Amino acid sequence: MSTKTHSSDVERSIVDRIRASPFLTELLSNRIAVAGLSLIVGLFAVAIYARLVYDLDAIVATSFGSNPSEAAPSAQFWFGTDGQARDIFPRVLYGAWYALKFGTATVLASTVLGITAGIVAAYYGDLTDNVIMRTMDVLLSFPSLLLALALVTIFPESLGLWRAVAALTLVYTPRFARVVRGAALKVLEDEYIEATRALGATDPRLLIRHVLPNCLAPITVQSTLNYGLAIIDIAALSFLGFGANPGDPSWGMMLANGVEKGLFSGAWWWSFFPGLFLALTVLGFNLLGDGMRDALDPRMRDAVD
Amino acid sequence: MVSKRFIAKRLLLLGPVLFGVATVVFAILHLSPGDPAIAIAGERASQEFVEQVRSDLGLTDPLWEQYVRFLRNTATFDFGESYQVRRGTAVGDILADRLPITIELAVLGQIAGLLFGLPLGILSAVKQDTLTDHFSRVGALTGISVPIYWSGPLLILLFAQVLGILPTSGRIGSTYFIDSKTGFILIDTLIAGNLAAFQSAARHLVMPVIVLGVYSMAFISRMMRSSMLEVVRQDYMRTARAKGQGAKTTVMKHGLRNAFIPVITIIGIQFGSMLGGSVLTETVFEINGIGTLLVEAINKSDYPVVQATVLVFAFMYTIVNLLVDITYSVLDPRIDQ
Repeated sequence: MSTKTHSSDVERSIVDRIRASPFLTELLSNRIAVAGLSLIVGLFAVAIYARLVYDLDAIVATSFGSNPSEAAPSAQFWFGTDGQARDIFPRVLYGAWYALKFGTATVLASTVLGITAGIVAAYYGDLTDNVIMRTMDVLLSFPSLLLALALVTIFPESLGLWRAVAALTLVYTPRFARVVRGAALKVLEDEYIEATRALGATDPRLLIRHVLPNCLAPITVQSTLNYGLAIIDIAALSFLGFGANPGDPSWGMMLANGVEKGLFSGAWWWSFFPGLFLALTVLGFNLLGDGMRDALDPRMRDAVD
Repeated sequence: MVSKRFIAKRLLLLGPVLFGVATVVFAILHLSPGDPAIAIAGERASQEFVEQVRSDLGLTDPLWEQYVRFLRNTATFDFGESYQVRRGTAVGDILADRLPITIELAVLGQIAGLLFGLPLGILSAVKQDTLTDHFSRVGALTGISVPIYWSGPLLILLFAQVLGILPTSGRIGSTYFIDSKTGFILIDTLIAGNLAAFQSAARHLVMPVIVLGVYSMAFISRMMRSSMLEVVRQDYMRTARAKGQGAKTTVMKHGLRNAFIPVITIIGIQFGSMLGGSVLTETVFEINGIGTLLVEAINKSDYPVVQATVLVFAFMYTIVNLLVDITYSVLDPRIDQ
């Protein structure tokens, strides 16, 4: 009973703190962040629209006979058609759904794994901390795309884009673990943690209810910045041939085919539009992440003379 | 003063990290479903022959024996022979051919990034929250966001196909035959005293260096901006101004030097994405460095080449970061735990 009252007090104080914090106001007055947010909202709208309106099987199938092959953009085919006579426009829109689906899966999985590793390392310390963090250090000593390339080979080809998701999750986890461990170490020094423990809270409860909520700010920034990176890296793996299956409406795959088969024979639209959407998406996340970092860092606010 | 203790500590840490890196590479290759014995013997080989190859490779030995052998070979830079990419050639020799190509590209990209990133970052900081600042920040973020495998082909289309002023791909015109002495094509052509060849090689490097350089420029200018903003608020800056020094001199003389220190760390961290970027750049511009080597080796299940290439990449990254840390401790003696 007393634990309950106590923890709900803590929760209320957290809510108050978030309300009082200038973070959101600061973020929304940051033009760069707002520009990023608008791009991302637009992307979500496009992705949901494509998912609801288009039939995946229809846009994956070749359309010889019904469409001309490699036709330039026109009133009928806004983004032209590809070498398999598929209309590129719905495929590019559906690519937004793919990017968000697989990007979200990657960021979510690496965030959860990273939080677990980071909090456990910070809380138990000593040997546990050393084993976990030294493993993370080793993973961080590989250039990320190269580690992903090597890891992708572990997973069976039939997994398609999920292969890229699995590999990149392992690549990104250490970054989250580091950020979370640092934040958690700071939180664990606070007196209320000692108090909660004295009241008999179990380890998992203490970590999930009390430590985690106070580490959310740095985690959010890291996730946002990593979102863009995940989307661009998934596409890069597909471009190099380790990810999407041929025909999949993924931007990386469309780019690979478009560059290889269309670009230099004149069919520039085949790779141009998927690339444009990919770049705008990643830009959106980078703008938002950058704005968030500014909003969280009060030292960056004052102007110079 | 350089802290000898700090450097010694960093050097001591290098061992365990490289050991860990080698272990991860060993684990990855043993977890991947492909069978090196079949990769060598061929899909249609008889069962006995595949078994023969497997025991010749030592793959029938207990796992720990294979692991110990792998570590010993790695420590002596013995990476075995290639199965597929260049059958029967020592992997070390293949790497010696290909590594300089990637290093040349990455170093030039890094230099281009510094050359453009530093001034951009300074400009952005000095003119904080003006249109110039917004423009250069959004420009930098755009640079990081545009995928190399999109901007690269578009540059080729524009400069090589439409305008015809730069070559499409490769490292040098096909009419030049240059002895490979250092492996760095710009240096080799100069050693040969062939200026026309040097010019051709330089022209081939323009686009790859631009796409890589933009990437690193974006990171560097961003870091330079925030570091500069931090520095200009320091007391010694105000003191300098109070003594009557002009704004420009203060920024250049006191600001720059101190602001540059944190930027050095970003160069190390960012060198990793530079190496990753070189894989994509080499693929787009058909440059046969170790990036394209890795992709080819993975596609052909050439395990010795895959493991050596990944190890070399991780090794380079670790060494660069070590050098960066040491430089940092030289420039900022407070770094000494």
